Amino acid sequence: MTDSINETLSGPAVVPDVTNTAPEPEEHAVVFEARDLNVYYGDFRAVRDVNLTVRQHEVTALIGPSGCGKTTVLRCFNRMNDLIETARVEGSLTYHGIDLYDRAVNPVEVRRHIGMVFQKPNPFPKSIYDNVAYGPRIAGAKKDGLDETVERALRSAALWDEVKDRLKASALGLSGGQQQRLCIARAIAIEPEVILMDEPCSALDPIATGRIEDLMTELKSRYTIVIVTHNMQQAARVSDRTAFFTAEVNEISDTRTGILIEFDRTERIFSTPSDERTEAYITGRFG
Amino acid sequence: MRVSFTTELEQLRLQVELMAIRVDQNLERMRLLLVEGDLSIAEDAYRADDEIDAMNVSLTERCYDLLRREAPVASDLRFIVSVLRILSELERIGDLALRVIKLGPERHFIVSNPPTYDILVAMASQVIEDFRDAVRAWATLSLDLAASLALRVRPMDLYYERLMAEVLRLESPDAVPVAVSTFAAGRALERISDHAAIIGARLRYLITGDRDHLTSEVR
Repeated sequence: MTDSINETLSGPAVVPDVTNTAPEPEEHAVVFEARDLNVYYGDFRAVRDVNLTVRQHEVTALIGPSGCGKTTVLRCFNRMNDLIETARVEGSLTYHGIDLYDRAVNPVEVRRHIGMVFQKPNPFPKSIYDNVAYGPRIAGAKKDGLDETVERALRSAALWDEVKDRLKASALGLSGGQQQRLCIARAIAIEPEVILMDEPCSALDPIATGRIEDLMTELKSRYTIVIVTHNMQQAARVSDRTAFFTAEVNEISDTRTGILIEFDRTERIFSTPSDERTEAYITGRFG
Repeated sequence: MRVSFTTELEQLRLQVELMAIRVDQNLERMRLLLVEGDLSIAEDAYRADDEIDAMNVSLTERCYDLLRREAPVASDLRFIVSVLRILSELERIGDLALRVIKLGPERHFIVSNPPTYDILVAMASQVIEDFRDAVRAWATLSLDLAASLALRVRPMDLYYERLMAEVLRLESPDAVPVAVSTFAAGRALERISDHAAIIGARLRYLITGDRDHLTSEVR
């Protein structure tokens, strides 16, 4: 009897080792690298000296008050700012080591690799099927593989079960949350590597928001996601890294320039931020 | 600006201080009973302890409510979690003070052996000092004070060692009851001092957010 107790006591410890519960996670490969990035609209400097690294299979959140340049930075990642005539980008922004703003780089090709989902769902006034098939068709997809591509994209966007019986119906008949997931399906139909999201849930109800957030967590195993959000809890929930931006006011010209204050792992930003401006903003004591 | 939330956090901080004052009063009663033997003190102490327990419940509920409503982050989050942890330390200290007070009817055994009794009285004073340092650290969020509570060589450990040595030397006919009640009181006092040190250790993370402090709490 005593022997068996002693045996039990001297047997292998069943208590798990908890002395190091939070090892630094392995670093994923770098996708975007912004170095001293500045964005101008004419003479006005909208964003100053941003240094930021976006990594593969992670969700990177950009947060900060209105007018702090986070959307401007997001739009740099797929050269959307090119569509604004006066916009100019300085500093360097590389995508897998390639300078995104090199003359030889074709912005249309860039957007094929780096898709975007906007604040308000903006489906084309076409059928659900045609919305998703639009990108692949333009890219020259053959007709016979298209059904599968559409289905795969709709499944990835967690929309397939809801629309599979009415693929020919107008996309405009979908609810707001469904429309946004359709836009995500449209973005991933062309198999991009990165999905940029500009406040994708701001026009949605809490249930639809929850769906999109779950979706982001699922999608990051295959894609890299950068999201702009005003919803602090959303950033805390879905992102791996968070960049906090704020605006610097120039008294003389009465203009605001966005600056990056702190960029770190999300859990650090929301539990122990190192800059007091981050602390003030996320705790709601800003200004 | 979330003005009302900030005000609520400040109120919570004050309520914790108030609870600490109630605990402090019971520690003082405990010391008095040990020194003077006035058993009537016990009634007040029981009542105060009920109050301490009720405060623990209502402040814990308040913390849950704030977590639910405000989804606090950063220093606010660390603060509310710290409050929850400190509440249970305070409640525990209150219970331990009561444990000594409950030894009142056996006080004549405790007093009968001067070498151990003198050490117990010194321990009771020391424990009140340790506790007040912890409360001061909480009220002022002083990192220095919190660190000294967490790191200093505690006089209490030395007292406790000496007490045990003296207990083992007991030879009188009633050595057993004297030893048992002396040991019970000494052990409770030593635990109180330890809980005060834990409050200090936990404050360091609240103040700095430094993960190393969280790690060093585990002991």
